[in-house]
Amino acid sequence: MENFPILAIMTLFVCAFIVSLVGRRNAVVRNVVVTIAVTVPLVMMLCLIPTVFIDGETIVYWLGNWAPEADWAIGICLEVDALSLFFGLIVTVAVFVSGLYSFTYMNHDDSLVNYYTLFLMLSGSVLGLVLSGDLFNIFVMIEIMTFTAVALTAFRNTYEGALEGAFKYLAVGSLGSTCVLLGVAMLYSQLHTLNLAQVAALLSSQGTNPVTIAAFAFLFIGFGSKAFLFPFQPLAADAHAVAPASISLMISGVLTKCGVYGIIRLVYVLYQNYDQPIVQYLVTGFGAVSMFICVTMAFNQHNFKRLLAFHSISQVGYVITAVGLGSILGVGAGLYHAMNHTIFKGLLFLTAGAVQHQTGSLDLDRLGGLGKRMPKTCLLFLIGAASISGLPPFNGFASKWMIYQAAFLHGVTSGNFYFIFICVVALITSVLTLASFIKVAQSVFFGQLPEEYKDVKEVPLTMRLPMWVLAILCILTGLFPDFIQEKLLTPAVNAVFNVVGYIDTAMGTGYAAASGVTAAGIESIAVTGTWSPTSWLMLLFCITCAVAIVFLLASPDDKQKGIPVFSADETAQPLDAKYEPFFSGEEAVYSQVGGSDLFWGFKHSWRRYFHFMHDWHSGIVNDYALYGAVAIAFVLLFCIVLL
Amino acid sequence: MFEKLIDNSMAKSPWIFHINAGSCNGCDIELVSVLTPRHDAERLGFKLTGTPRQADIVVVSGPITVQTRDRLVRTLAQVPEPRVVVSLGSCPRSGNVFKGSYAIDGPLEKYTHVDVSVGGCTPKPEAIMAALAQAAQILAEKRKEMHK
Amino acid sequence: MNELLLNLFYVLVFPGLLFCILMGILLAGLDRVWVARMQRRVGPPLLQPWYDFLKCCGKETIVPRHAKKAVYFAAPVIGFVALMTISLFLPVVKGRAAFSGTADLVVILYLLTLVSVCMMVGASATGSPFAGVGLSREMVAMISYELPFVLVILAVSRATLSYDAGTGMPLTFSLQAIMEYQEANGPLITQWSLIPAAIAMLFVIPCEVGMHPFDVSEAETEICEGTLAEYSGPPLAVYKLTHMVKMYIMTALFCVLFLGGLTTGILFFDVVIFILVCALLTFITMSLPHAVCARFKTEQVFKFYWTVVAGLAAISLILVWLGL
Repeated sequence: MENFPILAIMTLFVCAFIVSLVGRRNAVVRNVVVTIAVTVPLVMMLCLIPTVFIDGETIVYWLGNWAPEADWAIGICLEVDALSLFFGLIVTVAVFVSGLYSFTYMNHDDSLVNYYTLFLMLSGSVLGLVLSGDLFNIFVMIEIMTFTAVALTAFRNTYEGALEGAFKYLAVGSLGSTCVLLGVAMLYSQLHTLNLAQVAALLSSQGTNPVTIAAFAFLFIGFGSKAFLFPFQPLAADAHAVAPASISLMISGVLTKCGVYGIIRLVYVLYQNYDQPIVQYLVTGFGAVSMFICVTMAFNQHNFKRLLAFHSISQVGYVITAVGLGSILGVGAGLYHAMNHTIFKGLLFLTAGAVQHQTGSLDLDRLGGLGKRMPKTCLLFLIGAASISGLPPFNGFASKWMIYQAAFLHGVTSGNFYFIFICVVALITSVLTLASFIKVAQSVFFGQLPEEYKDVKEVPLTMRLPMWVLAILCILTGLFPDFIQEKLLTPAVNAVFNVVGYIDTAMGTGYAAASGVTAAGIESIAVTGTWSPTSWLMLLFCITCAVAIVFLLASPDDKQKGIPVFSADETAQPLDAKYEPFFSGEEAVYSQVGGSDLFWGFKHSWRRYFHFMHDWHSGIVNDYALYGAVAIAFVLLFCIVLL
Repeated sequence: MFEKLIDNSMAKSPWIFHINAGSCNGCDIELVSVLTPRHDAERLGFKLTGTPRQADIVVVSGPITVQTRDRLVRTLAQVPEPRVVVSLGSCPRSGNVFKGSYAIDGPLEKYTHVDVSVGGCTPKPEAIMAALAQAAQILAEKRKEMHK
Repeated sequence: MNELLLNLFYVLVFPGLLFCILMGILLAGLDRVWVARMQRRVGPPLLQPWYDFLKCCGKETIVPRHAKKAVYFAAPVIGFVALMTISLFLPVVKGRAAFSGTADLVVILYLLTLVSVCMMVGASATGSPFAGVGLSREMVAMISYELPFVLVILAVSRATLSYDAGTGMPLTFSLQAIMEYQEANGPLITQWSLIPAAIAMLFVIPCEVGMHPFDVSEAETEICEGTLAEYSGPPLAVYKLTHMVKMYIMTALFCVLFLGGLTTGILFFDVVIFILVCALLTFITMSLPHAVCARFKTEQVFKFYWTVVAGLAAISLILVWLGL
């Protein structure tokens, strides 16, 4: 059992090499190896649930059996507490779905061996990151992650902008990696150890000095850049738009979660400064700004996947905001939303991939009416869109609702108006999210079908199946928030606040107390508001029945006695004017209101802001690197002056 | 039981869609005056709608010019059953002073069954009111016939 | 068994389905009569909305060729039912909701959103360009009123914040807590710091319902009924009914937020007074602007709500925050 973490990581890495060895000859062997590689870690993570979540144990694995000597952790360790396992589960589920989806989705491409090798290495590095208990190991994994992600972004290098997007990601992403490396080096110079548990203990016993504060700033901005927080969000947009959809799922659902995981570990475990208002301002501030700017940017996109990319950052902004509140409810809400975001955003990216696979286009100004040709994909998209817009009873609502509660409560208990403002921003962002998904629904799945897409077919079952897995998860996690809270969130949140346990498991009992780390009181996350989706659904069902009965009572006579209920399916004659859309009497021509035609009143009122943002997202890599540098400087100054 | 309620309310809530098939605007003005406070057609439940899909009574004015002919036919086809067609003024009936013009392709009977016809150039608002009220009754009868 | 029957009574009769529909018809009818009287007309009979609804039920449904049929039929029904469930969460009479433990204020906010979304998705599914323009405007209207609405909700929640007796945790956004606070301290509208919020809420009502000066999405003259351009027959009837019931739900929500806690002790009188207050609110917020104003342009709606109305609500929130 305690070998499972390392085995899971090794499975992915070893299979990556096996794929490149044997996969060139035989596609079937390759697919079998990939299937094994994506299934085994998932099973292993699931097997860890009873030990870690239910018994509350923390699993420590010392590589090469280099256990700590004389209270110095020299060896590399994997330390899996409930928080790591929570993210491990998110990662493995996403990897599993993405792997299955790739088989059919990538069949238009060649040199697939390279794709799968990189894909498995990416998966392995991400899993390694969240399970690792060693700071330098985390940096190594971030490096592997960034470079494989860059290579995969450019995988379809025939696409316009693929190489450009990858290059931007490479250049500015390495800025973030460098920050992490700098932070790690500074901490090592001060504390002479890289083990997370020992760093946490020593930071607590020695107190902070300017160097460790600077290390905090570097690590924060480094992890933030991996989550593509503001001002790193243009990278995500450029990368997502050109990457294959299965990779977009990985980048948005998994890579950004690594940033979130890093920030949680940094603030709650390493520095334990989550209750300082300055840190709360910093983290929630970055979260809220990312949340709002990215949603307004998404509003104006013409490319399906670019739009989703901006939303991805916007939702990660929600997570970071909630996590930054430093309250138990906030962390619970953040983790819940992180999980939900992987599920629904994955689903949305896969539907975008399905549309791209069948039509070859992602242009919101040119698509339309695909709901009639791809009804199942349309349904899946609607589930995903409802989830991300936070419509009840889907999962996005449950977690956003917790975030509002957390922000409001934190504002009330701390007496700080800033957090109420954050709450308002979060609520407004939710409406804007809804607006841009209405836009996608109207311009891709509804409206009129362009002539060139007349013969588009539904995607095959092998592609729909992974989407259905995510869609069902969307519904289940939305319908049973109490269950999720009790079984998944409570252990994970307890792990976040149980620094003593984390240190003691790695370094031996009593080490934490000797270093002066005090145990935070572990409470259950009691959600104070009320929302029970299941009883709401029952009510909904009751009333639907009642309405249906009324209509049935009214209508059976109609059908017998000849009030015709007409439909216009394919059999209706194309020239029959009755079923043509009303066109003020004119002959109906193709006229799709979609893409950039929508929401004129809003865009007009905000034109100056949009012009500014348009210029700001210049697409020049120098600019983006400059923004990154400014952000680093800002966080560094902010932390050193105020902390 | 709902059948009866529906039949009864058919005559009480007729919504009007107005098509101008080349009219000189005189009849249109008079139709609007029917809705003004003086005559107030809304007390009988009349309401102007913006789309033929929601219309019960289609009011056609004008002598059906060649330009409007196809548009008229198309719009009439888009009105759901049961529906009533009212021809407003002399033009749709006979072509009025435009009769014989190369630009006219009337009368309205050529394209649809006209249920109520109001004469005059232009008809008085009172006459239009009477016609509309009669059209509402015809609407209710049509509905009854549909399920008999 | 009795419990079940009682719940069924709540859902189907009062304050659920039947009561909602009756109130919706009453308020919509009153609105039309009042507007007519203010324009010196006789106006339609009081039951005119009911006749409209029945007539639409008796018409043929034409599903246009570009429409996605399943969504075309499902959207109005889901929207209507979602709206209906809100009535079960509002503690309108005796300060108790029928299903009080099931939803709070944020849930109601999102259920109202769901109703509009169903309308937009239904419109979108018809494939008509007019509906496309209509849904675009509907969305902008929604963004417009959402900001003041959210601020009002936060102000009210802050003002009535109370703590759970058992766990000591604060009860946020709980309708029950808002009602209990008002029963103890009098209606919120009597607190001067919340009066701007109440005024803002009065402005939110007509836009949320889609009444005349703010009905940019259904402008019949410019965009041929906009979102409803391709709807006919029973689905249209359901939309019309949704519109009526929304009038009731929004006025009732105002009663709950700002006029709660007043009771005569006798259920019958309470209900009568409640109905009268709803009618009064309908007059103030819907009939009066309808008769007085011409329709706004879309960007005017947006500007008005994000500056004037949101400003009022924000003043209230800040005053409440300062403990005034």
